[in-house]
Amino acid sequence: MTARIIDGKEISAGIKGELRARVSKLAGIGVTPGLAGIMVGEDPGSLAYVRLKQKACEKLGIHSEMLRLPGDIAESDLIKEIGGLNSDASVHAIFIQLPLPDHIDESEVLAAVSPDKDVDGFHPVNIGRAWTGQTAFVPAAALAIYEILVRSGCNPGGKDVVIVNADDLVGKPLAAILVQGKNKANVTLCDASNPNLASHTRRADILVVSVNKPRFITADMVKDGVVVVDAGSNRVEDTDTGKVRTVGDVDFEAVKEKAEAITPVPGGVGPMLVTMLLANTVTAVERQVSD
Amino acid sequence: MTAKIIDGRSIAAQIQQELGQRIDRLKDRGIAPTIAPILVGENPGARVYYRAKMKLAEKLGIGYAGVELPAETTESELIRRIHELNEDKSVHGLFVELPLPGGISLPDISREISVGKDVDCMNPASAGPMVSGGALSASYRALKERAGVLLPATPQAVMEILLASGVDLAGKEIVVVGAGAVGFPLALLLLREGYSDVTICEYKGKPLTEVVLRGDVICACVGKAHFITADMVKAGAVVIDVGVNPAEHGITGDVDFDKVKEKASLITPVPGGVGPVTTTLLLANVVKAAERLVL
Repeated sequence: MTARIIDGKEISAGIKGELRARVSKLAGIGVTPGLAGIMVGEDPGSLAYVRLKQKACEKLGIHSEMLRLPGDIAESDLIKEIGGLNSDASVHAIFIQLPLPDHIDESEVLAAVSPDKDVDGFHPVNIGRAWTGQTAFVPAAALAIYEILVRSGCNPGGKDVVIVNADDLVGKPLAAILVQGKNKANVTLCDASNPNLASHTRRADILVVSVNKPRFITADMVKDGVVVVDAGSNRVEDTDTGKVRTVGDVDFEAVKEKAEAITPVPGGVGPMLVTMLLANTVTAVERQVSD
Repeated sequence: MTAKIIDGRSIAAQIQQELGQRIDRLKDRGIAPTIAPILVGENPGARVYYRAKMKLAEKLGIGYAGVELPAETTESELIRRIHELNEDKSVHGLFVELPLPGGISLPDISREISVGKDVDCMNPASAGPMVSGGALSASYRALKERAGVLLPATPQAVMEILLASGVDLAGKEIVVVGAGAVGFPLALLLLREGYSDVTICEYKGKPLTEVVLRGDVICACVGKAHFITADMVKAGAVVIDVGVNPAEHGITGDVDFDKVKEKASLITPVPGGVGPVTTTLLLANVVKAAERLVL
């Protein structure tokens, strides 16, 4: 069998359509969603990503503003800036572009963002709410994977889901959604260093991978009929042509011959990431308006 | 094979002994660590826990400033009391006994408890250190030593029991049954040991037996008497029973103890397993919260 290829761009476009309707409903009551980002320093990769977020906002009718601060800013000054955005009623949502310079304690800064505006879901209160089944903002990557599964007809309910990644951005928040949401799954969190890894991946009904190692998951590590979500992104050079391209963590060509459905890289989880940030932003506005 | 029965009371006694020295040091510096549990209404289960803490606090020389409120207490009155205790400098640990009477929302009152005094991590904001920081960046052992970090008592009790019993978690299949208020944080702490390999299953999911049978270590946090039966347990497994369910005489766990103990290698009983360690660790958190003042 050859797998159905899950089209992340199409799912993303569908979600954006829904968001547009929600934004125009907000416009009807005179509210324009506002997203503010803070970027410290001049990292070119971060800057490109921030521009991507701003462009996407523009297309949906979300007002976005970018606060660019010098790389040598003191932590206390940065926190003061965040405080200003927290109390600005026209700003409904805030994100801090990571990484921050080394002299700044990331956890202190993330905890300074109002939990109600924390659309990245990094504030300890949001993490705690997610783990106790309360309404929370969940990091975009975890949300993206969940939406991909549900919207591509691969309902995780009652399934054995194996997540190769146990970090704060993907594994843990995704586990929180999967065990507590409507579609309860049995979830195993594995670290890539696990010597028994293949025994876990082989029994997965749904396999989620985010380790940023090209071809990490090979065909012998999955069972027939598995659903694979590949959240990895690696730049590799083609030895024949010398061209650089982006690949995921899964040996796509081989694994797609065994899987029931699989996300490609690029075009799978990637296009969903910014969309889920926008979804969280619109949700933040709606919650603040209804309060 | 018949399992070795883990003696929670003796593990608790060991922790209490170490705690005694820390309490003495605090008192030398003029600080009397004090807990203020709040009991609302007359639920018999809640009262049992309330009294258990009082007895142990007395034994350890920890101050006890329990607050008993009538069942008709409103949410806003309860929140006002919590705020008073947050401000009260003579109180170091704050705790609301469960279950609460109807009409009071647990999430609404939990978030009012000051994080520095939240000895059972009821406020979602207290979950931060437990969750974040990358999967393997700090082991459980390193995390609990960290000044100012309070970890929830029941999941911590399971960790302490596993460590005290010499269970090596590295490379083991760990299965947490039940993804509620205990199962989740427990999974997070377990992830910090071994190779980050923890399955969390909800009993509504896939045929549960198949999942639980894989477990080298099984933690039952379901809240249903005798839910884990012998056919769900692989020979030689370590079984930790977190359940507290009412029984004809006293309480019983989530595990069908008499039959499962014939298959397991190690097992905790109920009562006398996780419970006494939990109560002790709750008071240990009061001591830790007080120590913050002199650091």
